[in-house]
Amino acid sequence: MRGTSRLAWAAPAALLYALPLLAHHSFAAEFDATKTVTLRGVVSKVDWINPHIFIYVDVKDDAGKTTTWALQSLPPLFFRGSGLTKDVLLSNKQEVTFTANPAKDGSQAYGFLTKLGYPDGHVFSMSPQDADPSLRKAQK
Amino acid sequence: MAFAIASRRTLAPTALAAAILMAPVSAPAQTNYAAEAAKNPGAASKPTPRMADGHPDLNGVWHHFFGIGTIEKVGESFVVGGAFSPKSGALYNAPLNDAKPEYKPEFAAKVKSLNDSQVREDPALHCQPPGVPRLGPPHQIVQTPKQAIFLYADSTGNQWRVIPLDGRFHGTDPELAATYNGDSVGHWEGDTLVVDVTRLTDETWLGDNGLLHSRKLHVTERLRRAGDTIQYQVTAEDPEVLQKPWTLSRTLTLQPDALEEAAPCVDKDAGHYVTLEHHDNTR
Repeated sequence: MRGTSRLAWAAPAALLYALPLLAHHSFAAEFDATKTVTLRGVVSKVDWINPHIFIYVDVKDDAGKTTTWALQSLPPLFFRGSGLTKDVLLSNKQEVTFTANPAKDGSQAYGFLTKLGYPDGHVFSMSPQDADPSLRKAQK
Repeated sequence: MAFAIASRRTLAPTALAAAILMAPVSAPAQTNYAAEAAKNPGAASKPTPRMADGHPDLNGVWHHFFGIGTIEKVGESFVVGGAFSPKSGALYNAPLNDAKPEYKPEFAAKVKSLNDSQVREDPALHCQPPGVPRLGPPHQIVQTPKQAIFLYADSTGNQWRVIPLDGRFHGTDPELAATYNGDSVGHWEGDTLVVDVTRLTDETWLGDNGLLHSRKLHVTERLRRAGDTIQYQVTAEDPEVLQKPWTLSRTLTLQPDALEEAAPCVDKDAGHYVTLEHHDNTR
């Protein structure tokens, strides 16, 4: 539902998959891999910048108040030739479910994006499990 | 949740890789030179094209910085691949075996201090140009008989260097300011293009790990084309801070795809660092 948001905290071990990626860009100096926030909202803005792109998602709480989450993602050069562009991210106005690791410094509504999930089932994901179906089977 | 706990079989290698990558200075550098070589099989044994003047033809795209990560389309989804895929990860962890520069004892403490707080102190991590030699090998070369142009799509933004090949010497005007990429002049030694670089600012580092240098830095690059590869060697001499010259080598492979304009660099991380884990971007 558009009017609800959900906050959940994952088990620390669950994020080991993301660590090689995050270690590369000093993720650990800035974000808390032991915590995951899960929320729903609409992508409202994208900064296509080095060293990491930012995806902004407007999240409405039960009272109708909107909070814009700033989600750090990957270096723009990673996306070269992938077909995933700023326009693609902005053109989809459907509500997305995102997961993110929150900032260690306590900054509100600021985190590292681990997954964007769209209602039709497609995702933009940092997890190798989403890239390789055999990994998904292995964890069941 | 997005991340379920993985089975032991799949978790073990990933956790191991994580442990290795989380280690500070000794961590192996992730680069895509080996992955780029794999895109052009047998590149080194192909014929070496030449310009009308007889020199090797260095024109082409030779490297894509930050190619360690790729986004791949799987069905309608986009997932991270490259160095972060269990299938291709090893290719991006191929060791470069870079030597470490040897500093004079009086500079060791300063280098260690900068390295320990690299995430805060590293100018290139905060969008300043990395400068020569840290900028790395050229990403694209445009070559004419009288000059070579080196183009770079760096994470700090687009960079370019114009390298005269007409036999001129370095400019000697004392009013000329030191710059990030310095003053380059080139000449041919047989089939090797030799680029001599001076007038470099001391606001840059030689590499990721607090590698300071002085205004006396003198850089020599050597590029030798062999088939569809270039052997790139760069030597930094700085008699003020280094005990001896420091040399790095890279093997570049001619790439089929065009160089893509780099997005502007905007530092949004600086205010959020809580701890000091490294953030290496080996070029």
